[in-house]
Amino acid sequence: MSVSGLRKGGVTLTALGLIGLVVIYWLSFFWVSTEIRQGIVQRIFYVHVPAAWTTGLAFGIAALTSAMYLWLRDERLDRAAVSAAEGGMVFGAIMLTTGPLWGKIAWGTYWTWEPRLTLTLLLWFIFLGYFMVRSATDNPEKGKRFAAVVAIVGALDIPFIHLSVIWFRSLHPAPVVIKPEGPSLPGDMLTLLLASFAVFTVLFFGLFLLRYALETVRVELDARAREVAA
Amino acid sequence: MNLMKKITVGFLSGVLLLTGYSALGGQEMTNLPVGGALAVQSLKPYWHVFIAYAIVLVAVLGWVISMGRRLSALETRLGDSAEHQ
Repeated sequence: MSVSGLRKGGVTLTALGLIGLVVIYWLSFFWVSTEIRQGIVQRIFYVHVPAAWTTGLAFGIAALTSAMYLWLRDERLDRAAVSAAEGGMVFGAIMLTTGPLWGKIAWGTYWTWEPRLTLTLLLWFIFLGYFMVRSATDNPEKGKRFAAVVAIVGALDIPFIHLSVIWFRSLHPAPVVIKPEGPSLPGDMLTLLLASFAVFTVLFFGLFLLRYALETVRVELDARAREVAA
Repeated sequence: MNLMKKITVGFLSGVLLLTGYSALGGQEMTNLPVGGALAVQSLKPYWHVFIAYAIVLVAVLGWVISMGRRLSALETRLGDSAEHQ
């Protein structure tokens, strides 16, 4: 796909995602019922959990495309990996800042070193390392290969984050949606949560396409600079 | 890399602000009369929800603006290099 095509697709999906986000906010304040024990603060759930899902999705794509890049050495796969990883950092930052705001009211503290929080923060820092490794080497090709390994290692943390609330004693509640016996949320809350998942996913792919277009232009510019230098 | 630095600085600033607010808030609560403390507590969850929702918009729009600026800067450079060739 051409850069202009990527940009058009990215802008369309991002615009749809932003409109969807406004609808989610409206539904969250004026439609969905209030959780009886936590009250209004439980509404953070509708952005915090989808942000966590999007972070896992983004870092998962980054790891998958990194593994394929190591195998096939196709530059497009590296562009996809770096674009997805940057998305993961943004949505990860959303998850790691909205969670403590909810935790302060629900648990009485912004932060505690319980397994899920610790593993999630570790994942974010591993991918921060991904970008540092990419730019730390003199040889860009070597940097890409090292960063791809970091992405694969980082993504191994994702299943542990999901299962940590089952395996260890944790302040986080057990899964309420993805569990063998099916979701245990009331209907309206589940509907809004699923809608929010969809909106965050659309938003991520829109931004991913824009970031991929940016990386394509940057690579093209570097290639031209090398041609001129040669 | 510039974007990553900005994200990291923003994230760490947020963590520091929240930690500082938490420490100061705790001191305020112990000195307030009971009625005042309850009033603060009842409004607090609303502020937390509004801040959380604002963070999502700021982060997403921030990323969009950052990419738009980087893309236009690169396209300008690309245009310049095409002219030189």
